[in-house]
Amino acid sequence: MMGNPMNSYKYKIAMRQLGKGLLIFLVITFSSALAKAQCDTIANVCAKNMARQFLSDGQEYRALLLNSDETAEFHSTFYGGTTYRVVACSGMGDGNLVFSVFDSDRNLLFTNSDYKNAPYWDFKVNSTLDCIIEARLGGENQGSGCAVVLIGFKQ
Amino acid sequence: MRLKISTLKYAFLTVTALSFLLAACGSGKKQAKDSDDLPDTDTAKTSLLNVGGEIISIPSPIQTAFLINKVGSPFDKSMLNPTSQLTSYSTKFLKALNLGVYGADLGYVTMYDQTQDALSYMNSVKKLADDLGVSSAFNPALMQRFQANFGKKDSMLSLVSIAYRQSDNYLKNNKQNDLSGLILTGGWVETMHFVTNVLKSKDNEEIKRRIAEQKTTVQSILKLLSPYASDKQYADLIAKFNDLSAAFEGIEIKYTYQKPIVDADKKMTTITSSSEVKISAEQIKTITEKILAIRALISGEKS
Repeated sequence: MMGNPMNSYKYKIAMRQLGKGLLIFLVITFSSALAKAQCDTIANVCAKNMARQFLSDGQEYRALLLNSDETAEFHSTFYGGTTYRVVACSGMGDGNLVFSVFDSDRNLLFTNSDYKNAPYWDFKVNSTLDCIIEARLGGENQGSGCAVVLIGFKQ
Repeated sequence: MRLKISTLKYAFLTVTALSFLLAACGSGKKQAKDSDDLPDTDTAKTSLLNVGGEIISIPSPIQTAFLINKVGSPFDKSMLNPTSQLTSYSTKFLKALNLGVYGADLGYVTMYDQTQDALSYMNSVKKLADDLGVSSAFNPALMQRFQANFGKKDSMLSLVSIAYRQSDNYLKNNKQNDLSGLILTGGWVETMHFVTNVLKSKDNEEIKRRIAEQKTTVQSILKLLSPYASDKQYADLIAKFNDLSAAFEGIEIKYTYQKPIVDADKKMTTITSSSEVKISAEQIKTITEKILAIRALISGEKS
């Protein structure tokens, strides 16, 4: 069957392509699983900064940022008379995510880059406002990574 | 021989296609939607890892339950969705919506220290969560901790909030953002039902203001639901939300920015910006009617 050298050569090429296809499949599958696992681990690390007196808003905000120029945008409403805690994480340590809070007119209300990329910050809100939380990679995490933001509140 | 090479090429293409197909199917969780009632969606749009784009947050129903309690409104069980309705939710669409509804009810009864009702609603929440494949969030350990903390309102609310956050995480992880959006929608509708009900018996400026402040959230919910508009169930819900959105249009919110005050030692920023809202009695009446119509669609309750 493989007596013809030309056919044998084509067979090897085909097998090599098959191998490449399988490799791509494995890389994609494992990358996806790794990204999820990485995000889960980061979310658990992140949750430690949500003090007990803050109730979770019941949601978990995640984004995969491919480089330090990419920004994830989270839209939220902060009610007046409430104190919120925003916890932002990427990587296994603190200070790897720069987050900024803007009002709906894009006035900057806060950025943790002024405070050594603090992993969490509290916001005492006098009057209800719609806000935008922007997150981008910073600190040691200059490659790609999973950004996790948690929001908690207390009355 | 040409045939054999073609066969090999075919085999290669098949394996490659299967590989990508399997990759696209994710981890193959059995809990993934079994297509009894929910539409197929573009996986790129429902990806856990939302690259760049806008991520929407819906305020927690518990926050509004806090407000209702704070203004001194008495406990009113009649405005809740009875747990006896549970068995009538046969589709994933209704189960997810009512997981949100019962979650809001659970927050409300817990806020008013109604422990027996809290247990009953928690059991309903667990049943729906199990049916939707998010039993890991409402696991036996959580149920035990919940009961062990009876009477400790803050601990009970904290456990419920964390369980909802875990189910949100699970659903997004498994490309079921549609279900996650429905749970948030159900919870929001139920709290709107609470506040509009409270206003019928107690005129209160804070409650009126809270209703007006939902103007943006209505748009956020429409953004959450719109990717699935090709499905009739979603289309009906979206149509009702469009009606509701129209009712919010005339509400005026005037926002004035003021420089925030930062206390770096406490890691706290006080946001001093102010906002004034104008909402008329007529607008509240219309919103109340629209909310009732949406709630009837979700829970089958016409209260």
